[in-house]
Amino acid sequence: MAGGATLLSLSALGNSAFAQENRLRLIWWGSQPRADRTNKVSDLFKAKNSGVSITGEFLGWADYWPRLATQVAGRNAPDVIQMDYRYIVEYARRGALAPLESYMPSKLQIDDFDPAQIEGGKVDGHLYGVSLGANSAATVINTVAFQEAGIDVPTNKTTWEEFGKIGAEITKAGKRKGYFGFADGSGGEPLFENYVRQRGKALYTADSKIAFGADDAAEWFDMWAKFREAKACVTPDIQALYKDTIDTSPLTLGKAACDYAHSNQFVGYQAMVKDKLMLSNYLRIKPDSKGGHYRKPSMFFSVSAQSKVIDQAVDYVNFFVKNPDAAKILDVERGIPESKAMREVVAGKLDETGKIPLEYVAGLGDLAGPLPPPPPTGAGEGQVVLRTISEQVAFGQVTPADAGKQLVDEITRILARG
Amino acid sequence: MTNAMRTSAGTVTVERYQGVKADGRFRRLWNANAPGYLFLLPWLVGFFGLTLGPALISLYLSFTDFDMLRAPGWVGAANYVRIATADPKFASAMSVTLTYVVLSVPFKLTFALLVALALNRGLRGLPIYRAIFYLPSLLGGSVAIAVLWRQLFASDGLVNAALAQFGIVGPSWISHPSYSIYTLVALSVWQFGSPMIIFLAGLRQIPQDMYEAASLDGASKFRQFYKITLPLLTPVIFFNAVVQTIDAFKAFTPAFIISGGTGGPINSTLFYTLYLYQEAFGNFRMGYASALAWILVVIIAIFTAFSFLTSRYWVHYDD
Repeated sequence: MAGGATLLSLSALGNSAFAQENRLRLIWWGSQPRADRTNKVSDLFKAKNSGVSITGEFLGWADYWPRLATQVAGRNAPDVIQMDYRYIVEYARRGALAPLESYMPSKLQIDDFDPAQIEGGKVDGHLYGVSLGANSAATVINTVAFQEAGIDVPTNKTTWEEFGKIGAEITKAGKRKGYFGFADGSGGEPLFENYVRQRGKALYTADSKIAFGADDAAEWFDMWAKFREAKACVTPDIQALYKDTIDTSPLTLGKAACDYAHSNQFVGYQAMVKDKLMLSNYLRIKPDSKGGHYRKPSMFFSVSAQSKVIDQAVDYVNFFVKNPDAAKILDVERGIPESKAMREVVAGKLDETGKIPLEYVAGLGDLAGPLPPPPPTGAGEGQVVLRTISEQVAFGQVTPADAGKQLVDEITRILARG
Repeated sequence: MTNAMRTSAGTVTVERYQGVKADGRFRRLWNANAPGYLFLLPWLVGFFGLTLGPALISLYLSFTDFDMLRAPGWVGAANYVRIATADPKFASAMSVTLTYVVLSVPFKLTFALLVALALNRGLRGLPIYRAIFYLPSLLGGSVAIAVLWRQLFASDGLVNAALAQFGIVGPSWISHPSYSIYTLVALSVWQFGSPMIIFLAGLRQIPQDMYEAASLDGASKFRQFYKITLPLLTPVIFFNAVVQTIDAFKAFTPAFIISGGTGGPINSTLFYTLYLYQEAFGNFRMGYASALAWILVVIIAIFTAFSFLTSRYWVHYDD
C-alpha cells in the first residue's frame, strides 16, 4: 500500500517538475520478447534523434486497460499508446487521442499502406491510430494429431458440416487420452462474426446497432450443440478453462487438435506446442460462401491528446512503421507490416514459422471481405455476453433457440445503454 | 533520561493548565496531547489523504456518470435506482458473494481452530509448524495459486486422479458452473493462517489450573473443551468471525486470479467485487461502480452491526 503510494507520487513528480522538452513515454501490452524488440527500436530512434529520451512500460493484456484508463483519467497518459481495434472508438470519442491526419504526409509517411488499413484507424473521419501490422482470424491445427488419426487436415474449402465429422473421427480414433477434434468455439466472437458475415450479416453496423438476428445466433448455437453431442469438440468444463490466452487454449493444453486464434499469434502457439502446427481459414458454411474473413489492424500506435510532445511522438510512430532497420527488428511479431516497402524488407529474413502467418494472410483470396467498422462502445460487454450465453447452452441451461433470442436482446440493451 | 523528560513535560502541562483556564478546553487538550498527535501524523496523513479522501470522492462519483476519461456529470440517484431495479448481474453477483461468505467463514474458522488446538499441545518445534501453516496465507492471490488450483481441480488434476481410484470420473471442478465456487471456498479454507495464529494466542491465555481442576473432578477432554475452552475463547472467536466475514465480503483476488478476471463459467464465480471491478475498469463505468461499492459498504456495516448486537448473548468477557 505505502509502496504503491510512493511510486505514484514519484511518477507524478516525474511528469511535472522534471519533465523534459523531448521526453517521450510509451506504453504497450505484450510479453517480454515484444518488449525487447520495442526497446531496441527506441534505442535506434534515440541514436538518430539526439536529445530525445524515451521511457517505455508494458503490461499483460488484462492489466493493460485498467492501467491505461487510470493514467488517462489522472491526466498522466503516456505520449505514444498502443491501441486495439476494440477500444479505439471508446478512447477517440472520449477525447483521449490526438487526431493525426494533419501530419500526413509531412511527418506521417504511410502512403504505401493498404488504404483499407489506414481507414481502420479512423473514427468519425479522423485518424487516431496507425496500424502496426495486419492479421486475420485463423484456425490453428495440430498436424501431428491428424496424422496419428489418419485423417486429412481441413482445406480452405472445408465446410462446418464436414469439420464436425472430422472432429468426431479424431475423438473416436482415441490416439491420445482425453483428446477431442476441436475446441468449442461457440463463445468466440471472431468465429461467430465470421459465421454471420458468411451469411451476409455483421456483428454491428457503422451506427452502433446490432447487425445480426436471433435466427442467425440460434442456428449457430444449434450447430455447436450438435458438435458437442457428436463429441467432435471438447466438453464444456474443459472449454471453460480457456481464458483468452495461448497457454490456456485446449490446443496448447493437449485437449484438442484445432483451436481458433489470430494469425499473428501463430508464432506464440508454435512456441508452446511441440507438434508441428499449421494455419487454415475459418470453416465455410457452404463450399462457395465467401467474405467471412478480413485483414484487420492487429494493433495501433495512437498519440495521447494530452501529450506535450506530439511532434516527437508522431516522428516516433512514423519511424516505427517506416524505418527498414526498425522493421527488421520488429519482424511480424505485431502482425504483418502494413507498408509495402517494409513488408518486402521483412519477408526476406523470415524463418519457416514466421512465413506461415505471412503466407496465410496473403493467400486469403475470396475468403476476405471488407473490414467491418470499429466495434461500438459496449462491444466489449457484448463479447462477454456471447461467451456467457454460449456456456449456458453448453452446460444445458438454455436451449439454442432461446439463447439466440437472449443474445440479441442483451446486446441490444447494452448498445442502448452506451 | 526518560524520567527527567516525563517530569519536565508534566510540569509544563501543569503550569499551562493553571495559566490558561480561560482559553477553554480545546487548547488544554491540545497542549496535553500534541506530542501524541505529532506521532500520529504519518498515519493521519495516510488516513485522510489515502483512505477518507478517496472514499468521499467515490461517494460523490456514485451520483455521477464518470467514465474515467471525461469530466463526471451529475445523474442524481440514477445509478442506485438502476442497481435496485434493472441490474440482474447485481443480484447474481450478490448471491455468489453471500454463498462464499456463508460457506467459507465457518469452514475456515473451524479448520483454523482445529489446527490451533493441535498445535497447542506443547509440541516441540512449534514455531516451525506455525510458520509452515501460515505460509498459504502469505501466498495470497498470485498466478502461482491459479496454476496450483488448476493442477488440483481441473479435469486431469490431482483430485480427479484420487477419485479415479474409486472408479469415479470427476468433471473439471474449477471450470464447471455447479462446482467452481466450492474450489474458491477450498482456497479460502486453505489460507487459514491468520485466524489460526489468533486462536493459538487465545488458547494460551486460558489458565491451565482450570483444566487441572476439571480433570481432578473427572471431566472428559471433550467436556473440558466444551465447558472451558470454548466459552473462554468466545471473544477470540467473535473477533475472528467479524474480521473474516468482512474479508470474505471484500474477497476479490481468488476469483479474479482463478477465473482469469471473467467470473466465469456463467458468472458462477462473479464475486460482487469482481463485478464492480469489471464495471469500473472494463466498461468504463466508474460512477456506477462507485455506487456498487457504497452498497457493499452498507451491507458489510449491517452484517457487522448485527454481529455486535448478537454478541452479548454468546460472547463471554470473563475478567
